[in-house]
Amino acid sequence: MYPAAAVKIFVIGAGQVGSTIVEALHGEHNITVIDLDSGRLTPLAYRYDVATVEANGASRRSLADAGVREADLVIACTSRDEANLVAATFARIEAPRATTVIRTSNVEYIELWREGRLDVDFVVSSEIETAHAITRVIGVPAAVQTDVFADGQVQMVEYDVSEHSNPDVLGKPLRECGLVPRDSRLVGIIRDDSMTIPRGNTVITAGDRLVVVGSPEAAQAWGQLLAPGEGAVEDVVVFGGGKVGLAIARQLVEKHIGVRLIEPNRDRARRIAEELPGARVYQATGLDPDFLERERIGQTQAAVFAMREDAMNHYAATLARVHGVDFTIAIVHDPIAREVYEHSGVDVSVNPRQVTAEEIVRFAHDPRTQQVAMLEGDRFEVLDITTSPSSEYVGLRFREMPIRGAVIGAIVRDGAPVFPHSDDILQAGDRVIVFTESSRVADVERVL
Amino acid sequence: MVDLRGAFGLVGTLTKYLSVAVLFPTALAIGYHEPFWPFLAAGAIMVLAGLGLERLGRGAPPIGFREGFFVVSVTWLSAALLGALPYLLSGNPQIDRPVDAYFEAMSGFTTTGSSVLTDIPALDQSMLMWRQFTQWLGGMGIIVLALAVLPRLRVGGRQLLESEMPGPEVDDLADRIRSTAQRLWLLYVALTAAQALILAIFGWTGIDDRMDPFNALAHAFTTLPTGGFSPEARSVEPFSAASQWVIIVFMTLAGMNFALLYRLFVRRRARAAARDEEARLYLAILASMSVLLAVELWREGIHTGEAAFRQATFQVVSMMTTTGYGSTDYIVWPAIALMILVGVMLVGGSAGSTGGAIKVVRHLLIGKMLRRELRQTLHPEAVMPIRLNGAVVDERTLRAITAFVLLYIGLFAAGAGLIALDAAFEGPPLTAFDAIAATATTLGNVGPGLGFAGPMGSFEPFSDFSTIVMIALMWLGRLEIIPIVVLLTRGYWRV
Repeated sequence: MYPAAAVKIFVIGAGQVGSTIVEALHGEHNITVIDLDSGRLTPLAYRYDVATVEANGASRRSLADAGVREADLVIACTSRDEANLVAATFARIEAPRATTVIRTSNVEYIELWREGRLDVDFVVSSEIETAHAITRVIGVPAAVQTDVFADGQVQMVEYDVSEHSNPDVLGKPLRECGLVPRDSRLVGIIRDDSMTIPRGNTVITAGDRLVVVGSPEAAQAWGQLLAPGEGAVEDVVVFGGGKVGLAIARQLVEKHIGVRLIEPNRDRARRIAEELPGARVYQATGLDPDFLERERIGQTQAAVFAMREDAMNHYAATLARVHGVDFTIAIVHDPIAREVYEHSGVDVSVNPRQVTAEEIVRFAHDPRTQQVAMLEGDRFEVLDITTSPSSEYVGLRFREMPIRGAVIGAIVRDGAPVFPHSDDILQAGDRVIVFTESSRVADVERVL
Repeated sequence: MVDLRGAFGLVGTLTKYLSVAVLFPTALAIGYHEPFWPFLAAGAIMVLAGLGLERLGRGAPPIGFREGFFVVSVTWLSAALLGALPYLLSGNPQIDRPVDAYFEAMSGFTTTGSSVLTDIPALDQSMLMWRQFTQWLGGMGIIVLALAVLPRLRVGGRQLLESEMPGPEVDDLADRIRSTAQRLWLLYVALTAAQALILAIFGWTGIDDRMDPFNALAHAFTTLPTGGFSPEARSVEPFSAASQWVIIVFMTLAGMNFALLYRLFVRRRARAAARDEEARLYLAILASMSVLLAVELWREGIHTGEAAFRQATFQVVSMMTTTGYGSTDYIVWPAIALMILVGVMLVGGSAGSTGGAIKVVRHLLIGKMLRRELRQTLHPEAVMPIRLNGAVVDERTLRAITAFVLLYIGLFAAGAGLIALDAAFEGPPLTAFDAIAATATTLGNVGPGLGFAGPMGSFEPFSDFSTIVMIALMWLGRLEIIPIVVLLTRGYWRV
């Protein structure tokens, strides 16, 4: 559609991460997917306009035959770290100019990459990205999802509006409630699965989801407004000590948040207790009411469910809720489970593959796009994009800008964040943090 | 049946080389115009015995893990024999009975410091120095010495080293056994030389008139190994306060982990040493008990001012590091003071030191285990690894520590029972507390007991039976019980 921006992408691995990447990128780019399993390739080939090759991505000859030489971007995202590393190494030989991205859960590889000793351009870890997503949500009251831009100077948060929210916010046109925190902008309201761009006469009601872009302080202030009385979280219970659970617990401990981790496997529990002296570890299933009672799990401020099976997470989260846990966050592996979770009162669900895909997808965007955050599955996106001098928006005051289904929440000018008012003028070279529907991302990239 | 020929061969080799040690008192005896032949004869006998054992082991398969316990245990018996022969051959009436001579020698090599002598200065200078020298040899360990000096022993060395080294684990000073052993001995020699030099300077400069070079070396020889023998009749009482403070400092050092001291003095990692949990607890116990005792002594009017602190600190350090010097005859002190002294005898030095008894690190880990048990009573599902200096301690090590402490208490009870029983029949009259102190002091390789066996007294009044019991306790205590007790299990002898 937009040949100028279109790049040739090789996706090695058609599992959930690979599929999510294809789903997010298929319209704009030229994609080839490689996998050993034709059963995974066929549905992709039918649903999207992508080339599929049934071959071993970790074989140099297969990669060459599939035409990797032409690639601009090679994404190795199978579930096997070593295969990804080998595929990226071969791709580097065949197509030295292509950007290579690998997915890994091996901390050693990540450290090597940080030291610059791994010959790949980017390394993305499901576990670490998932843990980031969760610890960020825990940091902001009422947040369902959050992400930071421009080195943490700008924060995007999606909030849940409940009946407990500050009554001055509910049921009133926006222009009449003077409470909106400074340095922030309400960029979208998601109601009944559709997006509304907020105007002065828009009324916020319970059940809405608000997307706000603002300074980290403003994000906290919004949280206080929407969930009054909820202080900073100081105590979290993590159910499940797999790789994801461990990564979450580690990040929470690093943030000086008290962590209790529950893991049923004896050896695994012991290993975690040895590895994380800052966390309290219990060898238990977390499904035993006596245990939950004895350890007063119900009094915790937040519980994270990071077990391997969605059904287990669902059950454990529901049980925890019965025991009085107010805020539950669950890992979701199967995208379908997300709806089940949210129906039955899990406050936040995080899909590791989605988070990983999101992290990888940003490498495929227009080079001006520095970062992407996806909301509500991948229906909405928040982009961090630098304006080009030829953009029709450059030089306009904010109130003069035509509304086309996208809202600019913040700009980063000369490295400092600006939260624009209606009289501010957009300049060429400004980095804008813009909220839009995924289907409009290409339009936004074109006009800015 | 276990094939012990190889093990006997190794004991022979060790004995043969250890016998070279008699050359030092021989030279001294020649210098002092004293009879030197008891040393030469003892050396010759033991070299011959060693050669005989070596012959026995010729052609035997190399020793394995299991034989290591036997080698360590028997080598120490044989070393005590080497120590005893010069006493026997000299024909001095204080010590010419085999049981007494063997007791004195075992007390020497195991760095206990209990003595059956009643008139110490009556011995020849060279014989007195041999007594001191046996403690110095035994302090860092004769097998550690052999590993450091003899290249042939490297095979199976780690297990031998671990059997002999005090404390639950060998610190990772260096991965190679030989260099570990060499570093430990180097540090040991350097500290001994430093102490001898300081004391000698005190003698030359007139700070301490009694401290002639002979005494300086003799006391350095028995301070670093936490031994406690003194060529003086009244231990270190006649020396000046300054000398006593120097001895306090070196006793304190000797009771610390030598690997830690190596890091502190050689690699200059003061911060790592200051953070060591065992060292901190060790120093905390020494300091608090010293203050407690000083206050008690001052309150009772036994000592006042600097003397109260010096006497209290000296006795606490001497008992806890299991050295066993006395700077005063404390058997007249009140009951609470004696309780403190017998109490710290059971605490002992640090792991990897030359001190004996249970050792601070075991108390520390037992304390942590108790705390964990209490927490797990409230939180049955909690998983709580025990850490020492931040590193997780293996559950197996913890079990071994529990077993050791239980064995220690068991042996302690058995020893005290046997000595009390003996006292009822033929031994000298004893109070229950005296029997307990005599057991604690020999099993912990401390030295003096209470009653007639106090710091200025002698173990001479004990019957032969009690003496033999105490020889066994010293031997068991020095090798930390398990290598010897393993030999007594039926499983050891089954193939």
